[in-house]
Amino acid sequence: MQELHLIQGEHKHLVIEHVADDSAQWHIVQEAGSVLTIHLFCLDSDAAMTGSVVLDIEQTGEHAETYIYGLGILTGKQQIEVRTHVRHSVPNGKSNQLLKFAVKDEAKGSFVGELVVDPHAQHAEAMQTNRNVLLSPKATMHTQPQLEIYADDVKCSHGASTGQIDESALFYMQQRGIGVVEARQLLLTAFFHDVLTTLGEPIVEERIQRRIAQQLA
Amino acid sequence: MHASIAGKEILKGINLQIGAGETHAIMGPNGAGKSTLSAVLTGNPAYTVTEGEVIFRGKDLLQMSPEVRAREGLFLSFQYPVEIPGVSMTNFMRTAVNAKREHQGLQPLSAGEFLKLMRAKRALVELDNKLASRSVNEGFSGGEKKRNEIFQMAMLEPCLSILDETDSGLDIDALRIVAEGVNKLHTADNATIVITHYQRLLDYIVPDYVHILADGQIVRTGGKELALELEQTGYAGLAEHPNTSANMVGTAQ
Ligand SMILES: Nc1ncnc2c1ncn2[C@@H]1O[C@H](COP(=O)(O)OP(=O)(O)OP(=O)(O)O)[C@@H](O)[C@H]1O
Ligand SMILES: [Mg+2]
Repeated sequence: MQELHLIQGEHKHLVIEHVADDSAQWHIVQEAGSVLTIHLFCLDSDAAMTGSVVLDIEQTGEHAETYIYGLGILTGKQQIEVRTHVRHSVPNGKSNQLLKFAVKDEAKGSFVGELVVDPHAQHAEAMQTNRNVLLSPKATMHTQPQLEIYADDVKCSHGASTGQIDESALFYMQQRGIGVVEARQLLLTAFFHDVLTTLGEPIVEERIQRRIAQQLA
Repeated sequence: MHASIAGKEILKGINLQIGAGETHAIMGPNGAGKSTLSAVLTGNPAYTVTEGEVIFRGKDLLQMSPEVRAREGLFLSFQYPVEIPGVSMTNFMRTAVNAKREHQGLQPLSAGEFLKLMRAKRALVELDNKLASRSVNEGFSGGEKKRNEIFQMAMLEPCLSILDETDSGLDIDALRIVAEGVNKLHTADNATIVITHYQRLLDYIVPDYVHILADGQIVRTGGKELALELEQTGYAGLAEHPNTSANMVGTAQ
């Protein structure tokens, strides 16, 4: 487990590009006015990999902001668990989590999103969204949003869904001559688009785009 | 050819021959199987062909994947075009055009060449530049979607185009513009199947043959005057004058 402490007003951008062992396990404390942005990419090509991501974050100062953006394509027999724990302990905090996964082959994915708003953490704004696409009949995704909201004057929302790729869109593209692999790639690039645009670093974005294409080939 | 969906037979022996340069209209009551025929020809995996064969320019069409059928020159203007959020029209069309070029052993178009082609084909159906820069069909009006189908047809220059109720949803001016676009794309080497419920479209796109499809079979074939007759009598009047055998459809080449 890696420790990180954001002092008052500090801005920090953490990019996790590989989900190996404890490099992807973090305990982070945020003081007042600090802004934490995490990008998580589960795009490892090792088909036998098992991995566990833990993002345990506590806002201890007011007006802190936490953003967690993640995407992943799990392939082969991979088993990956992503666990986020975001805790608003004081008033006026903000958090947003957006995580999207595509699961192929016989891979197993799991997302557990714990969001806690303490009784006196009024005016918190907390959002959590998890969207998943299963690309094969044997792929599975377990999603478990866990919201514990103890303050009454807050804005909280969450959404979780797991579906299949849009077959009618796939056929429409094939009817125009686009091959299945490329059509899927276009659809999944579109699926991940809103996560990628939060990155704001063209060089990293390009690298991620390439890895997405590799994972889908 | 016989075809079924979910174990239910929809096409019950279709026999049809389409020659180069010809335009065939297919009319028929709701649920007759017109869109099923389009879906089966283009390789929609929801349908199963249970009997018969389809030969497309000398090749066994049913053996080909949907994308190969398209690259070989088969095009469907969908009755209900699909929205693809997040995939831009430009990216979609570039991928489609270059996939076809690769199939033909041609180099992909350069960015400049591609944009020039887009501009020229957009003009043909007067497709708004704003639409061409959005996601595929996303938020397009019903009429805009149909116009976008014919724009794609213009981009891909198919040998056989199936227009499945392309007229539905188009306003009067749009119908004329889109129909004129289709006519401009018509050559002695390609062919068109026009599926429609209304004579009006056939005033613009004049068919060589009109077929009536009812309950999974072609029950009557005639010239363009058959559509006019239908306008008078409706499908109810049809059964009383079965003057053409269902098997004598199209022309031999
Ligand atoms: N999944 C399905 N299971 C059973 N029947 C189906 C299924 N899908 C379509 N059908 C039936 O197939 C028949 C033919 O439908 P099709 O869409 O080909 O008709 P159409 O001639 O194009 O009609 P329209 O003029 O309304 O467009 C209809 O009766 C329809 O209900
Ligand atoms: Mg139909």
